Amino acid sequence: MIKKTDQKVGAVLVVGAGVGGMQASLDLAEAGYNVYLVEKGPSIGGVMAQLDKTFPTNDCAMCTLAPRMVDCGGHLNIEKLTYSEVESIEGEAGNFRIRVRKKPRFINEDKCTGCGTCTTNCPVLNIAHFEDVDELGKVQLKEEDRQIFQQILSQHDINRESIIAVLQDINNRYRYLPDDILRHVAAALNVPLSLVYSLATFYNAFSLVPRGKYVIRVCMGTACHVQGGHQILQGLERMLNVPVGGTTEDMNFSLEEVRCLGCCGLAPVITINEDLYGSVTQAKLPKILKRYREEEVSVGIASEGVSDAKD
Amino acid sequence: MMPDEVIQKEANKAYRAHLLICAGTGCVSNRAFKVRDALVEEIQKRGLSDEVQVIATGCQGFCAQGPIMIFQPDGIFYQMLTEENISHLVEEHLVKGRPVPKLMYIPSVDEPPIPKLEDIDFFNKQRLLVLRNRGLLDPEKIDEYIARDGYQALAKALTTMTPEQIIDEVKSSGLRGRGGAGFPTGQKWAIARKSPGDEKYIICNADEGDPGAFMDRSIIESDPHSVLEGMTIGAFAIGAAHGYIYIREEYPLAMKRLHIAIDQARDYGLLGEDILGTGFNFDVSVHRGAGAFVCGEETSLIGSLEGRTPEPRIRPPFPAQSGVWEKPTNINNVETWANVPVIINRGSAWYTSLGTETSKGTKVFSVVGKVNNTGLVEVPMGTTLREIVYDIGGGIPGGKRFKAVQTGGPSGGCIPESKIDLPIDFERLTEAGSIMGSGGLIVMDEETCMVDVARYFLDFLRGESCGKCTTCREGIAAMHDIVADICNGEGKIEDIELLKDLSEAVRDASLCALGGTAPNPVLSTLQYFRDEYDAHINEKKCPAGVCRALISFRIDPEKCNGCFLCNKQCPEKVIHGKPKEPQIIDQEGCIKCGVCRESCKFGAVIVE
Repeated sequence: MIKKTDQKVGAVLVVGAGVGGMQASLDLAEAGYNVYLVEKGPSIGGVMAQLDKTFPTNDCAMCTLAPRMVDCGGHLNIEKLTYSEVESIEGEAGNFRIRVRKKPRFINEDKCTGCGTCTTNCPVLNIAHFEDVDELGKVQLKEEDRQIFQQILSQHDINRESIIAVLQDINNRYRYLPDDILRHVAAALNVPLSLVYSLATFYNAFSLVPRGKYVIRVCMGTACHVQGGHQILQGLERMLNVPVGGTTEDMNFSLEEVRCLGCCGLAPVITINEDLYGSVTQAKLPKILKRYREEEVSVGIASEGVSDAKD
Repeated sequence: MMPDEVIQKEANKAYRAHLLICAGTGCVSNRAFKVRDALVEEIQKRGLSDEVQVIATGCQGFCAQGPIMIFQPDGIFYQMLTEENISHLVEEHLVKGRPVPKLMYIPSVDEPPIPKLEDIDFFNKQRLLVLRNRGLLDPEKIDEYIARDGYQALAKALTTMTPEQIIDEVKSSGLRGRGGAGFPTGQKWAIARKSPGDEKYIICNADEGDPGAFMDRSIIESDPHSVLEGMTIGAFAIGAAHGYIYIREEYPLAMKRLHIAIDQARDYGLLGEDILGTGFNFDVSVHRGAGAFVCGEETSLIGSLEGRTPEPRIRPPFPAQSGVWEKPTNINNVETWANVPVIINRGSAWYTSLGTETSKGTKVFSVVGKVNNTGLVEVPMGTTLREIVYDIGGGIPGGKRFKAVQTGGPSGGCIPESKIDLPIDFERLTEAGSIMGSGGLIVMDEETCMVDVARYFLDFLRGESCGKCTTCREGIAAMHDIVADICNGEGKIEDIELLKDLSEAVRDASLCALGGTAPNPVLSTLQYFRDEYDAHINEKKCPAGVCRALISFRIDPEKCNGCFLCNKQCPEKVIHGKPKEPQIIDQEGCIKCGVCRESCKFGAVIVE
């Protein structure tokens, strides 16, 4: 270890030029140390530079950050190594050897003023495709899946606006969204796969894992909540032995919550595929489940309802 | 479409009786279609097919008593029908002309049944504007809508009024957005009309996400053409040629009827090109939501329509300036659109005669929760909560004590018993710490724990926050954890102050109304039900007997007669005792699922 001494020797390397790294560098530089500030990204500032306000005090992020960025930028004791990464560290406290790899910017940093004109004049607009759209369409689908996909696609206009409708049709057909087909959706509608996935994970209706033959949805609306909907959910978890969002091993039942089915007059409500059951109690659940276990043919609410609400 | 002569024949056919059976989602799930089929079969069997017509109508609102049927022209109301009692009903009423009292509405055990619809408090205290056609027509037949003055307002607007006159009429009617925020509709239209641009759009927001509200679903299920008519008038006023209807996928029946209605309107030249020969073109397309609460927010809804990630964006620019595809766009809620034909037909002067100083017209509420008559009601603005809960709603079941009404969904708050005489309008509800919202009124009784309600809404919002704003994403989750701790008996008295601080941060630093109003359920329960929070924190007790960590179940040996039902039902098999003797719950293994209490017919299971 370094001996305690008042004499300032050597230099300090700070890794990461977020608000913490910058403040540390400033304190050290003020104390008389020479500081190397290494930052992976092209600029200092870090995540805080991207925020509007900070939690929980609602302070303006830029107001906190900007003075430190300016100080850091101009401090003679701080040498900034942006767009660089630490490759190796050798030695011990007091005598380190550090290798930093500086990535090429293809721009003369001494002359660049950061005016931004080059960005606006660049003829190539890169869209953030995680995978090449042309490659996505080459993923092999089974003949059956290919036909289903083509048939779904033929019912919609080929543009970005249709994406949710297409995903819904696929979700209805397979009860989840298979990865291979999502790639084809991206290719067919000419959108980034990242968008397809951001939508597929955003909406509650979609699942990325296979669901059971019968999807049980327990309404979690306010009326159902005050009438004991939560107990119904826990009762089902117990009876099926799966947590919410899970599927039984025999792939028969999936258990899900739904925000509100708008049948508040019949609370608490559950649906199993298209069938709706009102005024459910825990005691009625085994009987309801039995129907589906025995593969009784079920019919949709839009055509005909099934219920044992009035026992 | 049917050939003309068939329609003529149908129209000339006179029936002596019309049986209007409700086919809203509520009644359908109680086998309304089975009942209808049984009814048709029975009528055929008795050779009455030419005399009696069976009509499946949209939601009639009285969901608690479904399936329901109205017998016209007598106006007799029948409820809770089953396939079994149809034959008896047809025999007695249709053949012998004797109404069947045992299938009528009975207000309480010691009162006689009420035969006529207009004598039932649930119905006669309502004022129907938006729901003017409910239960009176088959929503899948445009002719029936037209027969009830349907599309007359459209004809009047297109042929005798200029777009400016329409906007002025809507402005002076004082109509305010029924989706929750209450922005004046006429003003919104005027901005959209003035916004520069050749291409404009209108949107009908049917993404009814508020838990406990189902008026939009019901309006579309019972009277889809009124929404289409309102939209067409709006499109003409604003100068839009295309409209979108964004509807939740949780509403399959509403979606089906909407598609039928659109197809019929196109066939009749009421949608599409050159509507009513005036040269005005307008068409609509339907978009299904996919289960995201935030999509009810207008900028987020537009994002979803365009196929983008549906995150709200900063306003301005408002959608009226830059909406779908960056074109001026006017968004209104289903109920707002359905109000438009009424205003055009009957004039703004008449419309303003209903309601309060600042809120005109009527509002549709879904009265649900711990109330006898659950269902959909439409009342003039300014009606008090007491009238809705007690006169229309029939009070609290089981003689329990009323505790609060929750309004406005997750953005709203709870209104306590002390404010039950509050006349409902936009301003009064805001003053009371809640909001109008889309119109869900969830009635709560003494067995509802208000801390648990706050936790419930935070859990809802935590799951539905899109995650764009840090305060909303992290702040609501932090608040949820604190309230959940309180429910689990691990709360500290400092938590209350922390909750208030967090509420302020979440409210001030979130972009859209989801985060901006998220603390309301917590703040309003803290304001009116502080004692319940204190009981959870200090005494580690849940006064309402809801929070599992703080309660235990016990069997009252006085009341228990050893029927053994609870013993059989208990999933953990921790109820012990011999048959015909009082049972005992083993507290060690009890998971507090409440099955025993639910199954006990003698009220012997007590929560402590």
